[in-house]
Formats: sequence, C-alpha cells, structure tokens
Amino acid sequence: MGNTLRKVLLPSIMLVLAYGFWISPDFKEISAGVAIFLFGMLALEEGFRAFTGGILEKVLRKSTNRMWKSLTFGFTAATVMQSSSLVSVITISFLSVGLIGLFEGLGIVFGANVGTTTGAWLIAGFGLKVKISAYAMPMLVFGVMLIFQKSKSMKGVGYILVGLGFLFLGIHHMKEGFEAFQNSLDLTAYAMEGLAGILVFTLIGIIATIIMQSSHATLVLIITALSVQQLTYDNALALAIGANVGTTITAVLGALSSNVEGKRLALADVLFKVAAGIVFIALMQPIMGFVDIISSLIGLADDDYTMKLAVFHTIFNLAGVIIMVPLINPLIGLVTQLFKSEPDIHAQPKYLNEASLEFGDTALEALRKETARIYERSIDIIAQGLSLDKADILSDTKLKNVIKAHDKAVEFNIDEVYEHEIKSLCSAVLDYTNRLNVDPVTARQVSRIRLANQSILIALKDVKHLQKNMLQYINSDNAHISSEYNILRQRIAKVIRKLESIRSGEVSATSILSLDALKLTLEKNVSLLHERLDVLIRDGHISADMAISLMNDSNYTYSIINSLIQINHNYLKSEEGSETAAEHMIALNREEINSVLTGNDKIADDGKRRV
Amino acid sequence: MKFNKLLKKLKLYLDADAEQLQQEDEGLSKVLKKLKKKEQALQSAIEKERDDEERELLEQELNIVHSQRKKGIGLLSEIRKKNGAE
Repeated sequence: MGNTLRKVLLPSIMLVLAYGFWISPDFKEISAGVAIFLFGMLALEEGFRAFTGGILEKVLRKSTNRMWKSLTFGFTAATVMQSSSLVSVITISFLSVGLIGLFEGLGIVFGANVGTTTGAWLIAGFGLKVKISAYAMPMLVFGVMLIFQKSKSMKGVGYILVGLGFLFLGIHHMKEGFEAFQNSLDLTAYAMEGLAGILVFTLIGIIATIIMQSSHATLVLIITALSVQQLTYDNALALAIGANVGTTITAVLGALSSNVEGKRLALADVLFKVAAGIVFIALMQPIMGFVDIISSLIGLADDDYTMKLAVFHTIFNLAGVIIMVPLINPLIGLVTQLFKSEPDIHAQPKYLNEASLEFGDTALEALRKETARIYERSIDIIAQGLSLDKADILSDTKLKNVIKAHDKAVEFNIDEVYEHEIKSLCSAVLDYTNRLNVDPVTARQVSRIRLANQSILIALKDVKHLQKNMLQYINSDNAHISSEYNILRQRIAKVIRKLESIRSGEVSATSILSLDALKLTLEKNVSLLHERLDVLIRDGHISADMAISLMNDSNYTYSIINSLIQINHNYLKSEEGSETAAEHMIALNREEINSVLTGNDKIADDGKRRV
Repeated sequence: MKFNKLLKKLKLYLDADAEQLQQEDEGLSKVLKKLKKKEQALQSAIEKERDDEERELLEQELNIVHSQRKKGIGLLSEIRKKNGAE
C-alpha cells in the first residue's frame, strides 16, 4: 500500500507543479528559484566534502572548539557576508558533511544572528546596502572553471563557488517571482495600535521576509516607511521581530536537501528565533524603554527612530543569544528528540560492553561475536557491491544461474555504508581490544581478531575499486569482457558460499584446514586468467584498455578473496584448543599449496623439517 | 592402573614440555582421524559428481586433504619420536 502511494506521489506532485507553471509564470519562477537554491546546496556540500579531513576541517575545528570561538566565527562571517541566513546555510552544509557538530553549528548560527545586526546599522546610518548577490554570475563562471581542474582542492573550491553562485541565483529568482506580491504590500493599510498591531506586524514581517528572501530587504522597507512616517515606531519594531523570524526560511530551505544534522540545526534556529520573538513581544514596553535608555546613552535624538530601530535590532539578537547560549544543550536535546536519526542497527556494537571487558574469556567471546556480526554485514555489502544478493549467493542455486539472474549492474554506494557502519564498528572493536588487559595467550587471540577486522576493511575497499569497472563492463555489448567480469563475480560469490559452509560447520570440524582448498583455487584461478587474457588480447576480443582494467580488477578480486580467507583464518585461529593448534600445524603454507598445484608434493619432508 | 602408566602420568606431571608434546599428539591424532573421514567423504562425492567443473574442484580439495594428512602424519611421527627419546 505504502509502496503504491510512493509510486503515485512523485508523478502527481510533478503534474500539479506542471499545471501551476502553466497558469502562473511567477509560480514557475519561484519554483525554479527553490530548485536552483537546492542545487546550490548540493554543490556546496560537494565542495566542502573535498576538504573533509583536510585544512578546512582543522581550521573549523580550531575556530569552533569553544562556544565563544563559534560565536565569534559566526559573527565575523555574517558581518562580512551581510547575511545571517547565508551563514546558516553554509553551516548546514558543514554539518551535513560532518565537518563540525551540532553544538559548534549552533554557536556559529547564534553568532551570525548578532553579526547580521551590523547590517541594520549600515542601512540606518549610511543608507548602505551590501549586495552580495551581484557576485553570483562571476562565482558561477570561476567555479565551473575550477571544477574542470585536476586538483581535488581546486575542484572543491570550484564546487563551493558554484554552490554559492546557485544559492544567490536561486534567491534572485525567488525574489523575482515574489515581486508581484511585493508590490501589493502597502504597510499603511494595516496600521494598528496595541498588541493586535504588534502581532499583525510581526506576521507581516515574517511574510515580507519570506517573500523578499532577505531580512535586510525588510529592514530597508521598514526604515524607509519609518522615515516617511508611514509606520508607527512600535509597529516597526514588530516588523523587525517578524523579519528575524522570517529569515529562517532560507535555513529551512537549505535543510531540505541536507541530512538529519542539518535539519536539526535549521529547527534549532527556527525555535531560537520564534522563542526570542515571543519573549520580545511579551516584553515590548519595557524593552522599548531600555532602547530609549541605550539610545540616549549613545547620543541619539529622541525622534531618530531609524537609528533606534538599529539599536532594537541589536538588543533583540544579542539578548536572544545571551539567553540561549546557556540553554544550548537542552535545545540540542529537544531538536535531537524531534528529528530522530534513522535507526541504524549496525552502527552500534552489539556485544562489546563494559561488563564483558572485565574478564579475558568473556571479552574474547564478545569480540568474536562482534567480528562475526561485522563479517555477516560485510558479506551483505560485498554482495550488493557486486550487484548480487547475499541470500542468492548462500542459496543452493547454481552460482552460474545466480549470476545470470543478476546480470544488470546496480549502483550501490559502498563508501557510505563503509563510513557509517563498518568503519565505526571496526574502530569500536579496536578500541575495545586496546582497553583489554589479558594474559599473553588471550592477547594473541585478540590480536587475531584485530587482524580479521583489518581484513574486513581491506576487502570492502577492494570491492569499491572493483565495482568501478565492473558496473560498466557487466552490461557491456562486448560479450567477452562481460563474461570475464561475471567470472570474477562468480569467483568471489563461490568463496563466500564455501566460507559460509565452513563457518556453519557443514564441511567438517577441520575448519581451518578447509581454507587451504580455497587458497589453492585462488592461486589456480590467477594462472588461468593470465592464460585466458593472452588469448583474448591476441584474438582482438578485448581492447588494451579493457585488458588493463581486467588485470587490475583480477588483482582486486585476488585481494578480496584473500582477505575473506584471512578474515576466517584469523577468526578461527582466535579459538584456542589442542585441536585448533594441531590444525594450525597441519595447515599448508603458500609454498606447499603451490606444490600441490603443480603436482610436485614434497610436503611430507617439509613437514618433518618443521617439527 | 599399571605401574608403567602411573610412571608415565608422573613423568607428565613433572615435565611440562612432555605435557605439551602429549597435547599436540592428541590434537594431531584427532585431526588426522577427521581428515581421513573427510578424504573418504570427498572420494565418494567425486564419484557421484556429474558436473566436470565441480568434480575438478572436489579433486583439488582431495589433493589438499591428502597433502594435509601427509604433513600431519609426518608431524605426528616426529612428536612420537621426541616423546620416546625423552
């Protein structure tokens, strides 16, 4: 039912939008503005992603590791850019790629709210308006030029510029689209006294800012209206409060394309501004008195309402930040509660707990269970990375038929699951092993568990590399190359299936020794591929490029299989007993396996020498 | 219990190295028995298998098990020699 609804929903929305575009050019322009803006967000995130783990991350971490530093960072950025919403949007993209945390992000946004008040002073004092949107076009041009460069950081800067350019362009189109509504906004028509007036003008401020996509634009409007006495002073203050709330729309729009952290930040920003707005509306009269005191202290005339508005705007944001900074943790708690991240059953270790850490044996058992769990999940990821299905690989169906049934390349982002699940689990295992204090025998077993986890990570990285050409070639028109890549897939699948039967004890109790047969097959397949590759190139069935890809990918396949065997080898070795010790003694080394492969068996003699 | 067995137990108790050798002996014997069974199972599986590719894989595995047994037997006889010498 839900699935059908999802299938119908997207085309329905598109149809409604298309109809809207047909009947209203303004609506079309606004929607295009939103689309361009969101695309800008994606480009911005792509740009910042290039700097994760690099200098930007270091700079950000150093400049936001304390609350006062985050506040200063936000204040400076908003003062320079003359836009708190732009700072919020960039902060959301920092958060989305994990460059900073929610705590630091909120610090920046709060700082930006104070920074943006400098705008009111500039407008009221000098009639000055910094119009950063004029830079959108050059940004796009320079950005695209940089994207075409080879260097990763150049590309990153390019994407950031293009992202900012699109953000401005999007905002520009939204403004253009709303212009029709803006012209019909006559403030004198709503002039009202008392609380009702304050509430109505707050609402007008919110709507005007949403329409004009800029609290500065609203402030210009308020100041102009004030100077020609179209507006009473307290209504102007209410408009400024509304403008402050309405400006969060940009952050909310930006959060649409971001992950849960970005959404939390946007929500926290909205909550902060709405709460501050409510407090100021409730305390409007005493605050107006306070503004008068400050104004006379800095030598403003009693009727200099435009400058008084700037004072009010500053007090409003400054007081909001002073009140909210101590409440930042409850605020984070609230938004985390409201925006729960997707439940991720894999990202948290299941068996590693403090209690099992106390005893060597239980700790080892916990580590073994956790590793087995990570391995199971990794097999699932490897299967998907090969455009296969784990259940099918482990079924009784002939592998040739399994490969045939999955002959279409399916995109699967290994990096994402690697980063969010496997890497964090493996580091939890490593962290746990570092905290263990055990006897030398258990320490040896623990170190094998560590090695098994290391091999899991290597295998996944190799699948990622293999995936690149494989996705292209399994659907190739050239039957020879697609067949070779299917052989590679089948080979990995076969090893996974065999390892599963060894692990489940189907083969025999001599699990470690069963791995030797797999090692033999691995070595044999390498020489077989080389022979086949010669024929394929000689007969002109595949191009030189294909041959190079195939050679590289056959090495990745070798490494994946080897890692899979190593995982199980180390996992099984971590179980100590007289029989497993005997199995280790009997297990063949690479040289011995090669002598079986060539039919030149000297094992008995070698074995005698080893004792 | 016969006197010789008692003597052997006493010797094991006093000599940690001998105990380790004894453990290795027991471990190897058990694994070798399992390998023998596995070898027989593989042989009968090869006879039944009709798919050439699968049969070749089983034969490879049989070769491996055979080599492992040979190696194991060599190791066991060395251990027993050492045990006898002590």
